[in-house]
Amino acid sequence: MLTFIVRRTLWTVLIMFVITVVVFIIFFKTPGVDPARAIAGRNSSPQILAEIRAQFGLNRPLPIQYLLMMKSLFINRNLVSYSNQGVLVVPEVGAAAPATLSLVFGAAIIWVIVAIAMGMAAALLRGTVLDPLLMIIALIGFSTPPFWAGTVANLISQGGLHNTPLFSWVPPLGYTSFTTSPSLWFRGLLIPWLTLSFLYIGFYARVLRANLIEIQNEDFVRTARAKGLRERRVLIRHTLRNSLVTFVSLFGLDFGALVGGGAILTEVVFGIHGVGFLTYQALTSLDLPTIMATVVFGAFFIVLANAVVDVGYAWLDPRVRPN
Amino acid sequence: MRHMGLVYTPARRVARHPLRWSGAALVVLALAVAGCGGSSASSPGASSGSTPKSGGTFTILANSAFGVADPAQNYTLEEWQLLIDTHNGLTGFAMVGGVPGTKIVPDLATSIPAPTNGGKTYVFHIRRGIKFSNGETLKPSDFVTTFERQFTVPGPTSFYSDIVGASACSTKGCDLSKGVVANDSAYTLTINLTQPDAEIMDQLALPFAYAVPANTSLKLTGNNVPPGTGPYMWKSYNPNTEAVLVRNPYFHVWSKVAEPAGYPNEIIEKYGLQVSNEVTEVENGEANEVFDGDQIPSDQLSQLNSAKYSDQVHVNTLTADWYFALNTKQPPFNNLEARQAINYAANRSAYVKIAGGPQLAVPACQILPPNFPSYKPYCPYTTGAQTVWSGPNLTKAKALVKASGTAGDKVVVDGTNDQVGTALVEQMVSDLNAIGYKATPQLLAAAVQYPFVQNSTNSTKWNVGWSAWYQDYPAPADFLNVLLGCGSIHANSDASPNIAAYCDPSTQSQINKAESEEATDPSAAAALWTQIDHEDTNAAPWVNMYNPKQIDFLSKNVHGYSWNPQWYILIDQLWLSS
Amino acid sequence: MATLLEQVEPDAGQPDAGLQPEIVGRNPWALAARRLRRNRIALAALILFLLIVVISFLAPVYAHDVAHISNPLGPNLNGTTVVGGKVVPVMQQGTGGLHLGETPIGPTWDLHHYFLGADDLGRDVASLLLYGGRSSLQIGISSAIICCGVATLLALIAGFFGGIVDAIISRIMDIIWAFPVYLLAICIATELLTHSNGIPIGPLKVSADNLWVPTFIIAFAYVSYVYRPIRGQVLSVVRKEFVEAAIAQGASNLRLMFSEILPNVVSTVIVLLPLMIATNILTESALSFLSVGVQPPNVSWGVIIGDGEDLLYTRPWVSLAPGIMIVLTVLALNVFGDGIRDALDPRAKLRVDG
Repeated sequence: MLTFIVRRTLWTVLIMFVITVVVFIIFFKTPGVDPARAIAGRNSSPQILAEIRAQFGLNRPLPIQYLLMMKSLFINRNLVSYSNQGVLVVPEVGAAAPATLSLVFGAAIIWVIVAIAMGMAAALLRGTVLDPLLMIIALIGFSTPPFWAGTVANLISQGGLHNTPLFSWVPPLGYTSFTTSPSLWFRGLLIPWLTLSFLYIGFYARVLRANLIEIQNEDFVRTARAKGLRERRVLIRHTLRNSLVTFVSLFGLDFGALVGGGAILTEVVFGIHGVGFLTYQALTSLDLPTIMATVVFGAFFIVLANAVVDVGYAWLDPRVRPN
Repeated sequence: MRHMGLVYTPARRVARHPLRWSGAALVVLALAVAGCGGSSASSPGASSGSTPKSGGTFTILANSAFGVADPAQNYTLEEWQLLIDTHNGLTGFAMVGGVPGTKIVPDLATSIPAPTNGGKTYVFHIRRGIKFSNGETLKPSDFVTTFERQFTVPGPTSFYSDIVGASACSTKGCDLSKGVVANDSAYTLTINLTQPDAEIMDQLALPFAYAVPANTSLKLTGNNVPPGTGPYMWKSYNPNTEAVLVRNPYFHVWSKVAEPAGYPNEIIEKYGLQVSNEVTEVENGEANEVFDGDQIPSDQLSQLNSAKYSDQVHVNTLTADWYFALNTKQPPFNNLEARQAINYAANRSAYVKIAGGPQLAVPACQILPPNFPSYKPYCPYTTGAQTVWSGPNLTKAKALVKASGTAGDKVVVDGTNDQVGTALVEQMVSDLNAIGYKATPQLLAAAVQYPFVQNSTNSTKWNVGWSAWYQDYPAPADFLNVLLGCGSIHANSDASPNIAAYCDPSTQSQINKAESEEATDPSAAAALWTQIDHEDTNAAPWVNMYNPKQIDFLSKNVHGYSWNPQWYILIDQLWLSS
Repeated sequence: MATLLEQVEPDAGQPDAGLQPEIVGRNPWALAARRLRRNRIALAALILFLLIVVISFLAPVYAHDVAHISNPLGPNLNGTTVVGGKVVPVMQQGTGGLHLGETPIGPTWDLHHYFLGADDLGRDVASLLLYGGRSSLQIGISSAIICCGVATLLALIAGFFGGIVDAIISRIMDIIWAFPVYLLAICIATELLTHSNGIPIGPLKVSADNLWVPTFIIAFAYVSYVYRPIRGQVLSVVRKEFVEAAIAQGASNLRLMFSEILPNVVSTVIVLLPLMIATNILTESALSFLSVGVQPPNVSWGVIIGDGEDLLYTRPWVSLAPGIMIVLTVLALNVFGDGIRDALDPRAKLRVDG
């Protein structure tokens, strides 16, 4: 087990290295990108641009620049944004993280609870009309582009109906931190939570239902039934636990991706200044340091989630353990 | 894109601005009398106004922040509208609305001196008893640091490059001891120039030259704004969230016209909202102003026509051009007839529609904008009268294309990939295809597009490039020399404002003559600039589309609106009712 | 194909398999097809999907012959149309107050004149919807095929050879999965746009508005997503006895991979294909919404939704219509995908999730 963890850690570091190198190269190959000009500001003379290049080491070979940037990102943590010389990138990402975490945690709680309830209900009610009905709702959630769902949600809650009691509690788009105002924090996040979880509820309800049905036909379940256990007890104690293995592993991957900035579209549509929003801004202004920091942040969480899921899977299911 | 604005209004146009301003103010005052928060507007015309009252927090919503906050580098209208409330310069534009707002008045100097030494020396007397927001007293040597920072901090330097010693300055260091001479006991500041500069007083009124303490770092101060002498001071600035201005406890009024006291106790500017949501918030009274540099989408524009917002919406003309530069170094537009052809074919009313309709943009053919010195209406690229655009002339356009022999050529139209930018480019593509070219769009992010079209290394990659220009101050050279002068072409540089790379030696010699005549024979110079404007228009280095107008949208409880032609909305002169 | 094994395979794992009557000589593909045919809902979904495809590819017919628009993708700001017998301008200046703004015409519900209204450039939204469908479907289908093809090949190689080959390929897939697809899309788009004559890649000239660009970006982004389950399937098949038998018979690696393993894996791929088309359509719409997918003058459903953002509260149909089309298309694909999965493996043993 220990060697497994050590090996995965080394692989993680390697993956992060490769990703940062590729991002670096892509950035410098993109035409129209000149960090010196971004730093120097508008309408600077060629003389000033040359001075900036010398001062910031932008005329040194690319590998050296890469190492300098990695050093200021990881070791000194004083990496400065190209589009705003007054902004330190690492604290900027740190300040954006709570918004993303609030969004993703809230959505995750909703989608896990609702998906489990829907999946179990559909499996239990198999054969009745409710099963396909629930699954159609799940499918629709699964088939809706999340940014469009958010756009429609905005249309309804911020548009003409905003002044009705139905939606007057909705604050203007944006994120308020919990410490500033818990009420605004909650009210501002409720619709984004529901929108984001809509997609995942659909997916996870189907996954759970499929696993439940599959496992219900296994031998050990049949044994439990033969012993005279009630169906619900069979369901919860025996089948659910085994079904949750897939559920949990998939959840781990999706959650990791979302925390790392995967909720970019939801954040952009609702104006929530989280890591995804920051990524998008950095991409459109081609601000390499911020891009690098958000990419590293995102890749780290994705890879971490992968590793945790793999370890957890191996722990839960001895058959999968490497030997 | 430069965000600046000063309108020099010739005498015959004086009538427009003050009337519009005072008309709006009357309505506003009447409503204030009727009571705040009332749902129905009382009839305008009540002449007893309410008294402005201090207090409250004024909230501005902006889609994005303005980058680095250091005044020596920042070149955006967004920050300048705040810097005029926190800092002061030797001179300033009068802080009032309408035409009087174009006048240069002494600010930290006691008066505006006449030049000596053949126009190369100015001696300013600095006011005593003025303090920075950190308690330090303003003295003349503070200005030495201020001007040296123009060169040690990366940013535009062209405005002050005539100061003696400036040519030797760089980001490594700057010694202006011969160019900016401070006498802290006599409280005078002497500025020595290498040659006369007719525009020096305007340039000293720009926030680049606003006083900061002498011990301010010569390096970029990032997002920490150095202390200033204005009625407000910067409490914080985070480009991802907001900027907060609070009152400067050391401020007192020394010249009401240069720097009056402000009404709100606090000014907050919030960043990151989508513009449509900004408008919604101001409509709901949850904020006070949509930053006037944000483009309001057409959705909300139609909402703003509603009667309930009639006293909250203000529209003002800008001295600015939105144009497509034609690459005069590459075929087909190295050919004069081809350039004139697209000018005849350009469907300016369609461009105006993209800008939001005839109330928000005026079709333009020539280089200088209306209400600008030396502007005389001239539009050869239409059917009918040659002073105003009335429609495209497709017959003439197609004939010119045929004569030029460039029919069927490939043309790349470059622009920004936002909503309006994309629409403008697609319309230009359509206009070009209609007269026989094969045009394709090339849409880049704004941060990339701006330097891309300026840099000559990219010259083979585009033929028509979008750009916009807002005046720095009311001088024809600001358009005709900066944008179309031979000296504004810098090869292989991202900062080459003559995007069209247009250079005509005979026009350039006329420009030089006009500049040198400014001080000695202003009326002859003015006439010459008009002639240059028309010549340039005939040479068609651009397709000028329109001159834009600016919208100010304020919440119901905001009063005291005035529009200054240089700074646009004067934020600290607004007051809030409950 | 080893038909003997197909008889045994479907029942493997059932303790009383041997007691059930053998299905002798029936091709499992025929069995699957029959099960599919009986699944009415899946068939309805397939028909819906095909209907959408057909209508989308008939976009030029609609635009030119029904709506009478000569240049459906070009701006029409000064144009006019007929509503209720009267000629009206397509872009209408704001009424009242300061007459600010130009609002495009709203839905007329008349198939011949701006059925769904106009967008901010005065273009017919209904025509755009069909042209957009053409782009979105083309990108979704081709990127899914490329993605599944490449992933299957890689999974075969990795699962078959195992060891270091597997480790390397799997780690490369991990890296690709963690890579920000938006960054890649933006940089590639910018690179292509600034080479106005396109970048020559071999015999092709790829320009920025070429639909193959987003196709390959999306295929690249999802190849590791498909790779994982197929590799798992390959691994489980490789361990089975019939493969050992084939090895004992002296089969070459190539024959093993393509004749023994691939056929047993291909049903997984077939199940995945409609799901990946659905996923890729969703991804393409997201990229286009952010302006880094399909580039003008082409349109796709995501582009139209993005264009409708500024008109959301006054002309909601510009954003609503393409979204509804996406939901319908992706829903149909998902239902059909379910149907295929049920047909190929009715006892739900094949759970290809993730």
